[in-house]
Amino acid sequence: MSDPSDQSETLARAQQEIAACADVASVRAVERAYLGKQGVVADLLAEIPKLGAAERPAAGKSANLLKQAITSAIAERLQAFEGAGLDASRRGEGFDASLPPPRLQRGSLHPITQVTRELEDLFQSMGYDVLDGPEVELDYYNFEALNIPADHPARDSHDTFYCRGDGHLVMRTHTSPVQVRAMERFQPPMRVVVPGKCFRQETTDASHDHTFYQMEGLVIDRDVSVAHLIGAMKTLLRGIFDRELDVRLRPGFFPFVEPGFELDARCPFCESGCSVCKRTTWIELLPCGLVHPNVLRAGGLDPDEWGGFAFGLGLSRLVMLRHGIDDVRHLLGTDLRFLEQF
Amino acid sequence: MLISTRWLSRHVDLTGITPEQLCIDLTLSTAEVEGLEPFAPQLANVVVGHVRERTAHPDAEKLSVCRVDVGTGDPLTIVCGAPNVAAGQKVAVATVGTLLPGDSDGKNKIKKSKIRGVESNGMICSLRELALGDEHDGIWVLDPGATVGLSVADALGLHDQVIEIDNKSLTHRPDLWGHRGLAREVAAIYGRSLRPLASDLPSLGHAPSFPVRIEAPACSRYLALAIDGARALPSPDWLRWLLLAVGQRPIDQIVDLSNFVMLDVGQPNHTFDRRRLAAGIEIRMARSGEKMQTLDGAARALAPSDLLICSDDQPVALAGIMGGEASKVGADTSELLLEVATFDPVVVRRTSSRLGLRTDSSARFEKSLDPTLPLQAVGHFARLLRELQPDVRFPSPLTDVGVWKDPARTLHLRTDRARGELGTEIPDEQMGAILARLGFGVRAAGEGLDVDVPSARATKDVTVERDLVEEIGRIHRYGNISERPLRGDIVPPRRDARRGLVRRIQDRLAGTAHFHEALSYSFVDDGLLEKLGLQDVPHVVVVNPAAQGQDKVRRSVLPSLLPSLEANRRSHDDVRLFEVGKGYLPETANERGEPRERHLVGLVWAARPPGKRAAYDAACFSQLHGTLADLLDHLQIEGVLWREAEIRPTWAHPTRALEALAPDVDEPLAIVAELEPAVLAKLGLSGELASDVAAAEVSIDALLAAGKRGSRYRAIPRFPGIKVDVAVALAEATPARSVEEAIASAGKGLVASIELFDLYRGDNIGADRKSLAYHVLLQSDSKTLTDKDEQKFLKRFEDELTKIQAELRKG
Repeated sequence: MSDPSDQSETLARAQQEIAACADVASVRAVERAYLGKQGVVADLLAEIPKLGAAERPAAGKSANLLKQAITSAIAERLQAFEGAGLDASRRGEGFDASLPPPRLQRGSLHPITQVTRELEDLFQSMGYDVLDGPEVELDYYNFEALNIPADHPARDSHDTFYCRGDGHLVMRTHTSPVQVRAMERFQPPMRVVVPGKCFRQETTDASHDHTFYQMEGLVIDRDVSVAHLIGAMKTLLRGIFDRELDVRLRPGFFPFVEPGFELDARCPFCESGCSVCKRTTWIELLPCGLVHPNVLRAGGLDPDEWGGFAFGLGLSRLVMLRHGIDDVRHLLGTDLRFLEQF
Repeated sequence: MLISTRWLSRHVDLTGITPEQLCIDLTLSTAEVEGLEPFAPQLANVVVGHVRERTAHPDAEKLSVCRVDVGTGDPLTIVCGAPNVAAGQKVAVATVGTLLPGDSDGKNKIKKSKIRGVESNGMICSLRELALGDEHDGIWVLDPGATVGLSVADALGLHDQVIEIDNKSLTHRPDLWGHRGLAREVAAIYGRSLRPLASDLPSLGHAPSFPVRIEAPACSRYLALAIDGARALPSPDWLRWLLLAVGQRPIDQIVDLSNFVMLDVGQPNHTFDRRRLAAGIEIRMARSGEKMQTLDGAARALAPSDLLICSDDQPVALAGIMGGEASKVGADTSELLLEVATFDPVVVRRTSSRLGLRTDSSARFEKSLDPTLPLQAVGHFARLLRELQPDVRFPSPLTDVGVWKDPARTLHLRTDRARGELGTEIPDEQMGAILARLGFGVRAAGEGLDVDVPSARATKDVTVERDLVEEIGRIHRYGNISERPLRGDIVPPRRDARRGLVRRIQDRLAGTAHFHEALSYSFVDDGLLEKLGLQDVPHVVVVNPAAQGQDKVRRSVLPSLLPSLEANRRSHDDVRLFEVGKGYLPETANERGEPRERHLVGLVWAARPPGKRAAYDAACFSQLHGTLADLLDHLQIEGVLWREAEIRPTWAHPTRALEALAPDVDEPLAIVAELEPAVLAKLGLSGELASDVAAAEVSIDALLAAGKRGSRYRAIPRFPGIKVDVAVALAEATPARSVEEAIASAGKGLVASIELFDLYRGDNIGADRKSLAYHVLLQSDSKTLTDKDEQKFLKRFEDELTKIQAELRKG
């Protein structure tokens, strides 16, 4: 039997085995073999009581030293593995930079909602109220009160959906009916905008739909002029396009305004003509004008005391311009492949 | 409407104004120009040729071989098939390489060819080959004075540019429906003068004037001129070219002059065969059941609202819209009656809308024509006819009957006010000058101007002071007005509770809940309503739907989302859509007849059916219920109670349907349900698209009415709590709520939260039984709880459970 106080041979063997380990698992196996409950060191310690009293201290000391030495050799070896592991991680082993990121579940707001909110916020920041009006509207508000009596030729261009009954209900053809509704409800001065859904009985194609979204604007105050209208429209366009765009006003006929205008803006998409502006470098953006005295009267206001201007902005068209959408029918198409893009 | 610049220059000098500039200026001051096209550009490509000699083709009887001088040295040899070609003629020659208008959209390029063995180096053209007429009985023989070698356009002076004006922008301007009216605008814009138009009548005979009786006030003025000895000859070139330029097909002098006068001064007119009007003319409303055949050959059933021109009580024309077949002028007609009248715009418009018969004439009458215009138009017609046919006679004085009032009026313009409304400083003199250029009479009066509005402008367009402001503004140019900021008191905008609520709903659903917002049509399809069992519910109905079966306006939003599921499930395993919109209930209309409006959110969630191992709450119904519970919590609605839906929508599952109520709110805040199983297949969600579908509707109106609990901070617990997991087996019929009540009761105020995490059914539980497992958090705000507290809780809980015949599952 070997000298119990000399464990150098055992230590050398253990060190050899530890050094030979290729991975953490084999180090753990060596650890169990030497330091486990039934391991080499445990056996040595179990032998000590059988030794003579004189030998015991040396044997105990040597067993403990062996244990410490193996423990530290194992720890060292494990650390080396860990270091190698970190190095491997740092070297980027098992990392593919081209892997796509995981896709999170997400929802979306309709592009019409997004642009409507932007405009509502813009107008509210300038002191406008945001109002709402019915989509099934009285003929009175949609036409009569707006200076478009029955049999007026201007009704032609409205392509109205008429509701069954005694003919007094229509699907509103524009958001303008809220003009007189607003005058009935609020005292001037007032600044309001009205986003909403409108309807025209027309043949549907890539650029026409029988249902579309508009935003009406109405300002009633004393001494409102064409100059104010131009200022307000330029401010609006700055808000929409986030830059200064040249505008031009030209005569346009809408019975509820006088004078009535079409406001064109310099095409924001080109400098010398493109398909959006039909090669004219101008895009027709906003019908507008000074509120007709008859409309003020219908709203219970004295046209000698109050004046105002009104405008209509095509939200569907704006959304199409902004996102380059080539078919208006996508807007109300409820196709997820369209909706999830926004 | 098409406007020829050559025609315009009959009325105003256009020297120095390019057509492009004219278009811009008209757009900025008058009406929207939609396009500018050169008239017959092919005329610039064909040249004047002189037929030097014509010989018969050696091998073809009907062909001629011509030697044609086109001014390029040696005459060209051209084979021609026209019977009328002759030596000495000036003709239009398309040389080799020339592009002519094709038959359809393809261009026709002239090539060198061999025709029956003879080489042909071009083509002598007919008008038809130049797409300028239907005549094909021969080549077009030009004026003998035409210069050889010049383009035909240059030689005949046929250069013309045609401006297209958007009719919509002329709705209020009856005076602009003819070239002269537009010329007046051009004169005003450029400060030029309008050339006078001679329109006094030529000498008339003394036979008894033609008898006309007006029996309906819808005709306010009727002029009738008898004409003898007129012939239906082809029109001279000048007239043909002008008509062709604006898209009118020349017919003969009578028809062409009638069209010319309408397109020139804007007054429709009609010529009758006077032999068919032996009894004179009476103008009356139609009788019900009456019929007539119009010039287009159609038999028209008339209504008492239609105005008729009659003779011997028989209709001979539909007033202001179209003449009658019976009194049509034929090739042999020499005794004519020219009608120039003023008809009521509304009557003309109603009849033309009702019959779907819109004509150049009705389009003008419905704009309210100037009642003084007919006299000018009669004179214009008569003078032109006399110029073309010097033999023509007017046997009797002009008949001019009717009761009408000259609409010319005087308006007072407060010039300070005009400046205020335009927002720019235009001196009175400049305003007066602009109005004068437009044909208004202007006099200084008091603090402004008295303005005489000519009858041509006074019928509809210029009736109040503000209309004069527009006249000044548009000629002054709106572009010359500088922008000015709005000023006013700074007042925060009104808060709109509904709009705020809608935004929070949209953000929560699109954010936390991963729903996509859709917008859809308000019209619902009959087929869909039937599938959903909604076909007998009252709807607002439109009488002229965009498509058959789509005449109903939706009552609620949800149905609009359901038809999209089939297509969306094809591309997606998980479909979550919501829409915020309105619904209309006709049965609860107010005293003004407005249907009740509801503001709603519709939601659908469709997914591949969950597998057997899926979590107990994986079904869309549970998930959508959770979505809505979260939403109501987020909106801080107070006292929300979920229960089985009492009024189940027809699309909902017969049992799996819940409603959320709030205290003192009449209608449910929300309804959520699995889709009725029979509806699934009808929506195409079967086979490989088989889906688990839940749907919900939220009432924004109810949410607005519900109480809000507000947001209050809860103190963070100072002492740690104990998490206890319990599983309870109980009878299927016993509601989960009773277990939760047992937990709360056993906790004696220490229960901080209860969370169900499993629902299990299986053999080891027993038939008709289920197991519910909860995380329970016990917490005290005065001490740290210990195992002892947990044991006490469990003991009390077991006691509580026995009361509901349930037991705590161990292990």
